[in-house]
Amino acid sequence: MKMNYTELQITTNFTFLRGGSHPEEMVEQALALGYTEIAITDYNTLAGIVRAYTATKGKNIRIIPACRLELLDGHSLLAYPTNKEAYARLSGLLSEGNLRAEKGECYLYKADVYRYAEGMQFILIPPASLNTTFDFEDNFIHSLKEYKQELGDALYLGAIRSYHANDNKKLFRLAQLSKEHQVPFVAMNDVHYHAPLRRELQDVLTCIREKCTIHNAGFKLYQNAERYLKQAEEMLRLFAQYPEAIENTKKIANACQFCLSELKYEYPEEITSEGRTPQEELIFLTWQGANEKFNNVIPEKVKASIAYELEFIERKNYAAYFLTVFDFVKFARGEGILCQGRGSAANSTVCYCLGITSVDPSKFNLLFSRFMSDARDEPPDIDVDFEHERREEVMQYIYQKYGRDRAAIVATVTQQHYKGAVRDVAKAMGLSMDAANSLSSSGWEFTEEWYEGKTISSSGFAAKDKHLLKVLDLTNQYIGFPRQLGQHTGGFIITRGRLSDLCPILNARMEDRTNIEWNKDDIESLGFLKVDVLALGMLTCIRKAFDVCKAHYNLDLTLSNIPQDDAAVYEMICHADTVGVFQIESRAQMSMLPRLKPRCFYDLVIEVAIVRPGPIQGDMVHPYLRRRDGKEKVEFPSKELENILGRTLGVPLFQEQAMEIAIVAAGFTPAEADSLRRSMATFKAKGMVSDFQKKLVGGMMVKGYTEDFAKRVFRQLEGFGSYGFPESHAVSFALLVYVSSWLKCYYPDVFAAAILNSMPMGFYQPAQLISDARKHGVVVKAVDINYSNWDNTLEEKEGKYFVLRLGFRQVQGVCEDDMQILMALRDSRYKIQDSRQEKPNLRIGQLVDAGVTLAALEKLADADCFRSIGLDRRKALWEISALSDHAQGLFAGQLPDTSSEQQITLPEMQLFEHVIEDYRSTTLSLKAHPMSFARGKLKQLKVSTTHELSKCENGLSVRVAGLVLVRQRPGTASGICFITIEDETGTSNLVVFKNLFQQYRKEIVHCRMLMVEGKVQKEGEVIHIVVKKCYDLSGLLLPIGNSEARASEDQSINYMSSAPSVKKVAQTVQQDIFYGGRNFR
Amino acid sequence: MVVIWFPHLVTDRMLRRQPDLKDVAFVLSLTERGRRVVKAVNAIAQSKGINLNMVVADCKALFPDLQVFDFNPEESAKLLNALAEWCIRYTPFISLDAPDALILDASGCTHLWGGEEHYIKHIYNKFNSSGYHIRIAMADTIGAAWGVCRFGKNGSIVKSGFEMEALSLLPAAALRLEPTALDKLDKLGLKTVHSFITMPSTALRRRFGQNLLKRIAQALGSEMEIPDLVIPIVPYQERLPSLEPIRAAEGIEIAIKELLEMLCLRLQKESKGLRKCELICYRMDGVIIKKEIGTSKPSRNTLHLFKLFELKISEIEPDLGIELFVLEASIVEELNSSQDALWTISGGSEIAIAELLDRLAGKSGRQSIHRYLPAEHYWPERSFKDATSLVEKPSTEWRTNLPRPLHILPVPELIDVSVPLPDYPPLLFIYKNVIHNVKKADGPERIEQEWWIEQGQYRDYYCIEDEQGARYWLFRLGDYDSGTAKWFIHGFFA
Repeated sequence: MKMNYTELQITTNFTFLRGGSHPEEMVEQALALGYTEIAITDYNTLAGIVRAYTATKGKNIRIIPACRLELLDGHSLLAYPTNKEAYARLSGLLSEGNLRAEKGECYLYKADVYRYAEGMQFILIPPASLNTTFDFEDNFIHSLKEYKQELGDALYLGAIRSYHANDNKKLFRLAQLSKEHQVPFVAMNDVHYHAPLRRELQDVLTCIREKCTIHNAGFKLYQNAERYLKQAEEMLRLFAQYPEAIENTKKIANACQFCLSELKYEYPEEITSEGRTPQEELIFLTWQGANEKFNNVIPEKVKASIAYELEFIERKNYAAYFLTVFDFVKFARGEGILCQGRGSAANSTVCYCLGITSVDPSKFNLLFSRFMSDARDEPPDIDVDFEHERREEVMQYIYQKYGRDRAAIVATVTQQHYKGAVRDVAKAMGLSMDAANSLSSSGWEFTEEWYEGKTISSSGFAAKDKHLLKVLDLTNQYIGFPRQLGQHTGGFIITRGRLSDLCPILNARMEDRTNIEWNKDDIESLGFLKVDVLALGMLTCIRKAFDVCKAHYNLDLTLSNIPQDDAAVYEMICHADTVGVFQIESRAQMSMLPRLKPRCFYDLVIEVAIVRPGPIQGDMVHPYLRRRDGKEKVEFPSKELENILGRTLGVPLFQEQAMEIAIVAAGFTPAEADSLRRSMATFKAKGMVSDFQKKLVGGMMVKGYTEDFAKRVFRQLEGFGSYGFPESHAVSFALLVYVSSWLKCYYPDVFAAAILNSMPMGFYQPAQLISDARKHGVVVKAVDINYSNWDNTLEEKEGKYFVLRLGFRQVQGVCEDDMQILMALRDSRYKIQDSRQEKPNLRIGQLVDAGVTLAALEKLADADCFRSIGLDRRKALWEISALSDHAQGLFAGQLPDTSSEQQITLPEMQLFEHVIEDYRSTTLSLKAHPMSFARGKLKQLKVSTTHELSKCENGLSVRVAGLVLVRQRPGTASGICFITIEDETGTSNLVVFKNLFQQYRKEIVHCRMLMVEGKVQKEGEVIHIVVKKCYDLSGLLLPIGNSEARASEDQSINYMSSAPSVKKVAQTVQQDIFYGGRNFR
Repeated sequence: MVVIWFPHLVTDRMLRRQPDLKDVAFVLSLTERGRRVVKAVNAIAQSKGINLNMVVADCKALFPDLQVFDFNPEESAKLLNALAEWCIRYTPFISLDAPDALILDASGCTHLWGGEEHYIKHIYNKFNSSGYHIRIAMADTIGAAWGVCRFGKNGSIVKSGFEMEALSLLPAAALRLEPTALDKLDKLGLKTVHSFITMPSTALRRRFGQNLLKRIAQALGSEMEIPDLVIPIVPYQERLPSLEPIRAAEGIEIAIKELLEMLCLRLQKESKGLRKCELICYRMDGVIIKKEIGTSKPSRNTLHLFKLFELKISEIEPDLGIELFVLEASIVEELNSSQDALWTISGGSEIAIAELLDRLAGKSGRQSIHRYLPAEHYWPERSFKDATSLVEKPSTEWRTNLPRPLHILPVPELIDVSVPLPDYPPLLFIYKNVIHNVKKADGPERIEQEWWIEQGQYRDYYCIEDEQGARYWLFRLGDYDSGTAKWFIHGFFA
């Protein structure tokens, strides 16, 4: 039978919380039912059509990109563009609606539709029910007349059989209207899900949308499950009395021949100058840059690779792309914003010459073609990192230069993950908030064994409960649904013509940002190009360090002129002396460094890449280390792999290598290898992964590789999926690693100041960064109202380095504006140049009069910033708190008469109390380490210091104690918990095995000061303590100053019960002051 | 002044009710800003380091076996009030120090217990033996008693004029100060009362505000503090002893009438009406007879209430005679004597209807009277529900956009049909052995099962008219394709 019906109304899950199926599912189901075309009509959005379009590729089905227009002042219309121009108009219409509304809303009016209507077909959606006289309400008939008048023959009337009792009457009335007003009517089925089974999920979505539970949703739900994609035969039967309604679907479908493949991306024109073509411009700029870089003496090898790359770029027509990136980089350089490119194309000689990257490609043996080959037909990939504090400037430059109608950020479709999905579903299913939350946090416990009833989750959920099973079932269906359109972290798309001709634009949640509706996969599958403008904290730090170097050491540093291959820097890295350094500062990295002993730049590249889920999961780390130490012979699984694995001693470490193995050794096509990597990244394609596994392992075994090796390669690929780390990125990161190490090695004062001024970033707290700087001989001085600036600054030289003066930014709770007032007052009172000599005499009262708030002053007093005028924190607070009634208005400047007050002596503060208060107010103390006060007691307990550990022998049983800095349970370590603790002599790393972790969970999770008993495990310089027992010694950190309060508590103990509130005070004190530690990431 | 503090007020009461929790660490929690926060801790949990206002999740991390129950702030307030009323035996002047302490004005009462020490001891032992942890202290001023109660020795008695001495070693918090002032004092190292109490008042006021001075003055007695007293509610109960035992129905009638007069007079004064009322007759032979009536709306209409009791009089067996009648209203609600009935006719008749229903219910039982309200369900059996009271408002409109029969069968009944495929209405159907030929039909209306309540097949409903002109609501269960589809009759249209 010839198919005469086309489904013209399909709502996918890109109409959030309405549609119950993915666009892909709709397409698959339509194909299975024998449809050759369907329309996708989401509410006021085109976000789902690319997914649907991609799903149709290579199959005998096409989609009609369309949209349901929800109007603020009229009945809803379905709009179908018939050609490219009409599509551009539809997209423009939606953009207009989006831009006048908040994010997530689209305000459209009838008048807008009429303006953009040309070339579109429309279907008017009738109301669901009739009135008491079995007719449509007048306002609908009114709308129909008006639409007919404005839209003419493009207007159709929709007809739905929804199995309500009045279907026959409704169709009869529609037929009447259709005849009377000459508006042909069209059959459709208001599809919300691809199969009837999804009704349950769709009901739950309705509940989530309406913020009710399934039990009280009532008539907000649909009455039946008829909104599925029905067979064409069924639709013919339902509309048997009105064959013209079926005919008309074909009429509309035939009129709408527009396909998304007609959209062509064009680069902007502004990127060239002097009338050159993009390719000419690129050639010109590249050689110009090369001459600058190499002082007009370009080595032959470089010349050859430039020529090769330029030829390749010309062949693939990528010149404009490189120029676009160059444009941003040029702007950033002009503004003094540090930037660094990375990605497959970024490590090319061309990019080096253009200054997009500072990694000298001649430093290592990377072939450009390795990243961009003809076979892998994917657009080049350059991500550019900018300083995180100044990236916004670059973004606004892009908007300004190209205009908001031509530049926008790519969307990120955030998907439902287990946690959020189960919470929403559970709430909709009527579970309590508590139950929903504990379900959400115990997702990993719902294993197969749990479903079989063998285990019960820790929160007491058992597989017996049918309602719970239903919740989990619906959750599983819901996972992967698009949740909202966010903005990509920095992917920009820039076009020659109006961007809204291609895709609707919408307001991002952040001010001054606009983005498009499609995400990076969508634009990639349409062949659009994007450039990533990303933010990186370390670049901010490096730039600030460069500025300080210029000011104090008179050095003009850039990323490319730092002396390379400096042995002292590598020596420092080998000793894992890398607190604060980019990337290699984590516990895992630090324990790897002394084993790997990086001695050259490429070693750093490997170091960056090796401590990653990919190589660890693939069990590639240890073979590599053994081979590097010469304990194992370097050999290759086969001759053909020698090329690929040569530079990593036969062990695959990088994503590219794993993919190349798939191609070379398992016979994958490059496209297959790429989709393999992609499928790893998206958990959605669960079924596909095992197919790939069979193919990869099977393919490799056919070619004579061992199964073991093949499986390891696959596991590694799996690891890359969750956090892909290709060599090209590692190379760019390695440069920043080197630069930050160099700064730390030669200018620890500068480095410390810069990193503190760029906080929050990195792995460590200010306390650790400062104690590390002091260990390297930097003198650090406390925040002081007479010397500090907002930022941390360097003062005069003392010893080898400049003195680091902590800035007000370290003080908790003060704002920059207040401190600017303070600094302005200070600078006006004594000239800056001799301020360092003169005895400062800034008085507190003057600060108040200048407009510094009392709250800010109290915070400064808490931070003990008044030492230079002879007041400790208590005295300062005493003075400040007297100023709340200071004179105002006419009498401003008149200081309240505190001098006449009887002199009051406040209780003296002990050093220990000062340290505690320092931690409370600035998270660090220069006066002493809190652990040093407990040392006496710790000695009695036979606790060693971290420093003493380095002299211990392997296997010795020891006790150590310290403040907990980091607790980690990496997914790659099968339940092992790593803890870093710190005492006054340094940090030590603890390893807690899974069963012990369960046993000492309370101590580990909760306490601030941990004492452990365990065995020393030494491997070269790396020391770990394998924990046997844990003790919570937080009590030792109790402020001793509370002794008086304690005395009274002791008294009361004899009689009946003790007073709990005193204890409570003490406990909160110790809990809030010390940093709780970075937890499990 | 005596201050009694219940550090575990709510949990102690729970333990009294559920003694099996004796050895269990548990807390009561309340949701605040989306987090479960501990609002009450029992002594065991406290000894494990769990304190008020901690987040439950943190507590669980600290002590995974912790049991968590819901905290009900109203109940805790009620409990304190009840304890206050109970304490009236110690002194008539009692005030609340919410949420968990009482203040007793013991002036002139202690000698009844043989002096202050015995007084305190008695209270302590009384509460302790009934399972309440308390801390108690006595002083001339509320302030001093409060501070010593919380931070001093339990059971202390501060002698007149020694307030300063008693407080001086206690922490600053003993002065009932707000957290900001306490925080500042703590930072300045002024941790105990004596470290600052002697400072010049100008210096203190400037830094900590007037409140600190006020609290000091209150504690030392230089400023009066007058607490709000608790006045207990007298139960709505009237008693009528009879001189001679009453054995005749007339006598009972008179007694009821008299008691109702007295009770309704009080209800009138307090703008209240009763919903439930019990007559308790104490018989000579010690048997107690209880008769209860209920009303649909709060009422204090003696005539109406008497009519309700009148129906029960025959059930009272006087035997040797009744010597005491007690009438107690167990449920009392607000009833304003408003005049709005002047213009709304329905308002007046509503009372009449309510009174009629009360009488009907008194005769044939409440279960024979039904009132239906619409419920938001598509599934017909669940689309309506029984109303609980006369005034209950429908939570949703009755649906009128789709045909629904006036009379619906509680359970659909199976019928035989002759029906063409696929989804046409039947040509005839047999119900209770009568053949109905279908003349007119409309439908189908498809209604799916509400899957979260019950699994099952959908129904296709048809409105059917037979040759008699009678109309029926029929449905087919499930898909016509299956071949096993069954037909049912579910309702009758008017």
